[in-house]
Parts: sequence; structure tokens; C-alpha cells
Amino acid sequence: MASKLIFALALAALGLMVVLPLGWLFYTSLQVPESAHLTFANYGEAFTKAIYLGPLGNSLLLAACVATIAVAVGTPLAWLLARTDLPGRGALRALVVAAFVTPSFLGAQAWILLAAPNSGWLNKVWVALTHAEHGPLNIYSLAGAIFVMSLYNVPYTFTFVFGALELMPADMEHAASILGARSLRRTLSITLPLALPAIVAGFIMSFLESLAEFGTPAFLLIPARQLVATTQLYLFFQFPQRIELAAAYAMPLILFTALFLYLQRRLIGRRRYTMIGGKGERRRLTPLGRWRPVALAAALIPSLLGVFLPYTALLLTSLSRAWGLGPVPGNLTLYWYRWALVDNATTRAAIGHSFAYGFAAASIALVIAVAIAFAVTRRLVPAGGLLAFICMAPFVVPGIVLAIGFYSAFSHPPLLLYGTAWMLIIAFATRFLPIAYANMTNALGTLSVDLENAARTLGAGRIRSLFTITVPLLRSAMLSGWLLVFIPALRELSCAIFLFTPRTAVMTTVIFDFSDAGNFEAVSTMGIVIMAITLGIVGLSYRLLGRSALEAERA
Amino acid sequence: MMHSSRGRFLTIAGGALGGLALPELAEAAPKAPSEADVSKLYDAAKKEGLVTWWTAHYTQETAEAVRDAFKAKYPGIDVEFIRQTAQVIYQRLAQDLKSNVHELDVFCSTDEAHYVELKKQNALTPFLPADIDTIATQFRNLDPEGSYQLGALALVLVNYDPTKLQPAKRWPQLGDPRFKGQITLGHPAFSGYVGNWVVAMNDKYGWDYFTKIAANQPKINRSIYDTVTDIVGGERTIGAGPDSLSLEKKAAGNHIDVYYPDDETILIAAPIGVMKDAPHPNAAKLFENFFYSREYSSVLAKTYNFPLRGDVASANGARLEKIHWTRVKVDRLLTGVPEVIAKWRETFGV
Repeated sequence: MASKLIFALALAALGLMVVLPLGWLFYTSLQVPESAHLTFANYGEAFTKAIYLGPLGNSLLLAACVATIAVAVGTPLAWLLARTDLPGRGALRALVVAAFVTPSFLGAQAWILLAAPNSGWLNKVWVALTHAEHGPLNIYSLAGAIFVMSLYNVPYTFTFVFGALELMPADMEHAASILGARSLRRTLSITLPLALPAIVAGFIMSFLESLAEFGTPAFLLIPARQLVATTQLYLFFQFPQRIELAAAYAMPLILFTALFLYLQRRLIGRRRYTMIGGKGERRRLTPLGRWRPVALAAALIPSLLGVFLPYTALLLTSLSRAWGLGPVPGNLTLYWYRWALVDNATTRAAIGHSFAYGFAAASIALVIAVAIAFAVTRRLVPAGGLLAFICMAPFVVPGIVLAIGFYSAFSHPPLLLYGTAWMLIIAFATRFLPIAYANMTNALGTLSVDLENAARTLGAGRIRSLFTITVPLLRSAMLSGWLLVFIPALRELSCAIFLFTPRTAVMTTVIFDFSDAGNFEAVSTMGIVIMAITLGIVGLSYRLLGRSALEAERA
Repeated sequence: MMHSSRGRFLTIAGGALGGLALPELAEAAPKAPSEADVSKLYDAAKKEGLVTWWTAHYTQETAEAVRDAFKAKYPGIDVEFIRQTAQVIYQRLAQDLKSNVHELDVFCSTDEAHYVELKKQNALTPFLPADIDTIATQFRNLDPEGSYQLGALALVLVNYDPTKLQPAKRWPQLGDPRFKGQITLGHPAFSGYVGNWVVAMNDKYGWDYFTKIAANQPKINRSIYDTVTDIVGGERTIGAGPDSLSLEKKAAGNHIDVYYPDDETILIAAPIGVMKDAPHPNAAKLFENFFYSREYSSVLAKTYNFPLRGDVASANGARLEKIHWTRVKVDRLLTGVPEVIAKWRETFGV
């Protein structure tokens, strides 16, 4: 009985979080403004006017370029770190993680400091050295946005490919080498094709992320007088507001995402790549020989551009009384940290909100993910496939589009959440529910039903066996699932920017608010604060998870 | 006409104050009711303890200084504020009102048309601040019905880096090819000051004015204050921008100066209004009345904004009487701003 209740609650939550906002989004896209009449006129306007089609084209171009670069960089990087004797592999991996958790809008802000055409530090150095009239870099351009977004998308491909290479048994590569294939040929004809699904997954992830990215285009492309789909959506929300048009305009983003995920399934699903799971031989690392220094230098470039330079720029700016004066002794101060953490009520509240909302969102997403994943994998309910689909559906919806759905659904009675913390909490929980759900499904899949059955044979009810057997065994998977929602929720901007009110502002929206009017010091300081917190949590979780994994082994 | 409506208003306000003028304060006739009224308001405001304020009037720093001065004058009342561009805070307010969310007390936009829309929705409380008599007569009656009052005075003029070039002396000169790649602008869909300026330029010189500027590849920012950062940081050398922040940066030794265009400087009388469903109505009124205090004008002067009061001197000695300025009427802003935002999108691509 109790299990039915929990399940019913999770089901209701799913309806509220996923079905209702998406339904409202669709309904809104057909609405005549301020009336109950329905029309296709919004679609007509959104997809016939050149000024609205242009941004969609820009988005596709941006996404394709970013995904290509990210794959081209991420794949060899993963191979170097997984399969060669490159020195400092552990540290390099940590740097990739650092880039992974950095929101790209922060990178964009940092790169404005570094590579604004005339005032960017790198350009200034160039001009000073060469006496050229201009520096070579212009971050306010489509190329600039592609560059910055690529830096923070490399980690997707890297992570997927690295994982695949780690798990790939060495047998086939061995066979090839016995047959006389040299290192390069072996890599190109065996290793890479085997890693293809991971590479495709990396490309699609980056493509979809870039399509949905709002912060970087807002920071870099508005000054460059170029719009992409997300910044156009933002403008639809501005005065004079056109929510119905925004809803219609958002549809292609969903369609593209769905199409790509479908293609990925078709592409990879048809071939079976189940080489994982066997107990292959220990693989040897490819010796780089005299190429080691070159390879190391190359492997450092993404981290140099994505982590070292940007963080240095942000840190120096946050420590400057006025960034224009440069990092000279009289200009160094902790003023902005005091301002952000002590004096300024808005930033203080925002830091608190980010934590509280992230915490609540992660907890809600996790509870729902566990309940549904348990019910589906243990076949306790009919239509399990449909439930799983609903859990994964937000994955197909870019954050900014989800936000429009949420706004349409929850800004009026009977479910008036706008203006309350719940608006952001539920949005974050929904947005990252697929991560938690996939995580729990995987974890439950590895767990044999025998243990639960044993408990039930001994007379325990379903709930009791869930809480005394399953949940404790899943502890570390649950912690990582929780963190996988909490960390992205901390740095979420594209959903929050539509749903917050000043009373419920979070760190990212405050950063966005400060990012106009040239408040570079304030933005940099908040950026450093948010990253210090995030990296702290990541570090802590690595320790925690490491330890709990150890405990599991000992048990 | 103006005077008669003003007179009527004072009568109404006098009635509302209901004999608060105490005899012993009678010799300071105009001030007497004000102080009694204000102290009563202060008592009520203290119980509320907080005022929420959204402003587009000036920079974050100036808003912080205003907050600090208010808190110094009226201990016990906290000020929570956000500073954003006018269209952004207006949009947030519009979203709030649509959802029946009431979190805002005092609304300070730079686009007067917002207040006309808010009045239509009956979202503002008419309020005659006791101390409004301290400001120049011509700005006392921004809204004949008293739904909003003057909150700040700002100019849009030419900012430039004097070490790098001569300024455009008339607005049309910004279309000269010599300014190619040099210009920095704000965006009318974000900034109310920029919206005022664009409407003024459009009405005076036609939209062609902006097609010419577009050929000079300006950098487009969201806020008008970004243009100052661009010039001070060396990113651009000339722009249509505010006087206040530029003068402040100039005084701090940066390479920036202002030029009051020979044709016309654009003056913006940026309003302040108390929301009808303000969660802290008394603190809101006390806060609005504070805008006519010497302290508020001193903060403005110190931050190179125009003081509202005649008895506080501006930082650089500039006086409105000596500046050749024009102001876009609110009726024109009402239709003009949405119109130019759409045109801007076509011409500049954003």
C-alpha cells in the first residue's frame, strides 16, 4: 500500500514537472495573445520572417562548429590520457573536470577581459610587443563565441571517449599488433572505431548544449550584433513581451534535440558494441617516446585556454579596485569579496538561494528518480516504458525552452508558483531529473533482485526491503546522482533567467544582472565565489565517493 | 494649467495630512507639515522595517550610496534593491503583476512610458511627497495625477576619449566614417535612457540617422553605462552615453570627457513611483520622500548625477539652465520606444 502511495506521489510530481509545462508550452504557442483563441499565426510569424530565421541559422552554425571542435580536441586528448604514458595524466584529468564544471558564460566573461579587440589583455600585450595597430583577437564575434563554447564542451567528448577507452578490452588491439599493425594503424583501425559511439555521443551532447546555451551568446554576441535562437527568445521575453511567439519559436529547439537523440540511437543502436564487460587482458600504454614533450604541450592547451588564463583573469579582476588600472600594487584589494559576501544583501541572499534551491532540487529529483527507476526496473507498474520516457523527456528540452513552459504553466492560478522559491526548485529538479534517473536506472540494473527477494521471502514488505536492502546498497550511486543534479543546478542560468524574481535571485542571475553596466569586478568576484564553492563540492564528493566505494569493496 | 492642477493637488494632500501642522513649527510654514508627516511615516515605516526598490536610474555604486544615505537618515529600515536596465526591471514587474506577485515597493524606471502603462493597470499609488517643494517647479508635476514623481535627472550626450579624438559636436556627426569602429552604444530594448535618445534622434533626424551609424559598426551593449566602460577601458573611443558616470570616471583620472552636443543634449526626467500593492507601503513613501532630501541630492552630486534640489550644487558646476537640452514627451515615448526597438532590430541585427 505504502509503495503504491510513494509511487503515486512520484507519478503526480512527474506530471506536474514534465507533462504540464510541456503541455502549456505547446498550448501557449497556439494562443492568440490575451485571449482563449487558438491560431497558427505565431508559427507563421516565427518561421517566415528573416529576422527570426537568421538567429536559428546562427544557432545551428554555432552548435555544429562547437561540436566539431570539441570532438576534434576531446578525442585525441582522451586517447592521450587513457592510452599513453603521457606524464601528469592525473593532473590533466583534474583540469578537464575543472573546465567541465565551469559555466561557459563565466569563461565568456573572462575572455572578454582577455581578448576584447582593443582592451583585452592579450591584445594589449600583442600591440605592445609588435607595435601593431590592433591586436589579432576579437572575442565579440561568432568565432569568439565558438572558441569559448568549444573550450567548455571538450570535457563531454573527453569524458565519454575516456570512459570507452578505459573499458575497452585490449584483446582486439593485441590481435592487431600480433598481426603486425603499428601503433598508429592500430589506433585508427581498431581503437577509434570502437570508441565511435562515445565520440558520436560527445558530438551530440556538445551540439545540443551549444544549441541551448544562453549566457555566452548574450555576453559575446549581443555586442557583436548577432543573435542566436536563445538570445532571440530572451528578447521575446523583454519589452514588448511576446510569450506566445517565444513558445512557437522554441519548438525547433525541441525538434532538433529529439531528432539528434533519435539519430544517435539509430546510428549506435544498430551495431552492437558489447565488448565491455569481459575480463580482458591488462592493456599496455602506448609509449610516446620522443613525442612526450610535444604531446604534453598539446594536451595542456585546452586547460591553458579554458582554465588557467580565464581563472587568472577573473581572479586578478576580482582583486582589483578598478580593473581598467591593471594588476598594480595600489589597485589590489579584497574590497569586492567583502562587498559580495558581507556588505551586499543581494549577493548574500543569492548565494544562500543557490545552495538552498540546488539542495532541494537535487533531493526532489533523486527521490523521484529512485521511486520511478525502482518501479520500472522491477516491473512493479504497467507502462513502465512510458514512465521512463517521461523521466527522460526533459533531456530533449533545452533549459531556456523548459523555462518558457514553466512560466506558461505556473505564472497563473491554479498553480501559481512564480515569485516563489518553488518555481526555481522545480525547474532545476526537472531539468536535471534525466541525469538522476539514468544514474539510478544504471545502478539498479547492476543490483541483483535476489537480495530483495530474500528479504521479501523473510516477510519484509516491498517498502521495507527497498529501504533496508536496496537503498543502503545504492548509497554511493544515490550520492553521485544527487551531486549530478546539485552541481549543475548551482551554475544553471538559462532556465533561471526567465523564472527568478529579484526576491528569488540565485548566483547566476545576479552575475547576469551585474554583467551589464561594466561591473567587471563584481561579475568576476561572484564568478570566483561560485567556482570556489563548486570546485570545493566536487573535490569533497570525489573524496566521499572514493571512500564509500572503498567501503563497498571491503564489505 | 500646470499651476492650477498643482494647487488642487496640494489641497488634496493638505486634507490628507489632516492638521498635522503643529503651531510651534508654524514659522517654517512649508516645512512644518512635512516634518510631522515624515516622522509619522517613519514610525509606520519602522514597523515594516524594509523597502524593496528596483532602479534603473543610476549605477550600482550610486544606488548603494543612496541606500546607505537613506539608512543613515532612517535607521531601522533596510533597503533591498536591484539595479538593472529599465526595460528589464519593467519586464520583471510586468511579469509579477500578471502573476499577481507583489514584492516591489518602489519602482524607478528611466522610461516614463512605463508609468503610463502602470497607471492604466491601476498599479501605482498616487502620492505627494511632503518635501517635493524642494525641487525645481518645472519637474514637480511630472504626472498631473501624482501617480509618480521625479526621481532622477540624467543627460544623454557625447562621451569620448580626449586623448584619441575630437568628439562629434552634433549628433549627426556620429555617422561620419571617421568614427568607424569607434562607437559604443546601449540598446533601446534594455536601457530606458537609450530608448529616450533613440526616439529623440529618430524624430529629429529620421531613422536614416541610425542606418548611417550602423555603417560605422558600433559596439552594442545592453546598458548605457557599458558605453562608459568601453571608453575608459579603451575598447571604444566615442559613444552616446550618460554624463554622470563619465564625469565620475574623468574625475578619477580616466581618459574620458563629455561633450554637450550643439544640436541638443537629451534630458531624461526619470520617475519614481510607489506600487499600489507595495508590501511595505509606508517605508515606500518614506523612501520616495527621501528623494527630495538634501542627503539624496548630495549623494547624487557626489556621484556626478544632477542633484534634484536647487540648494545642492552639482559636482562639476553644470546647471541645467545653461545646457541646451530637449526632452521627449511621455506620449511620444509610449509609442516611440516599441517602434524604435523594432527598427533597431532590423538595422543593427540585435
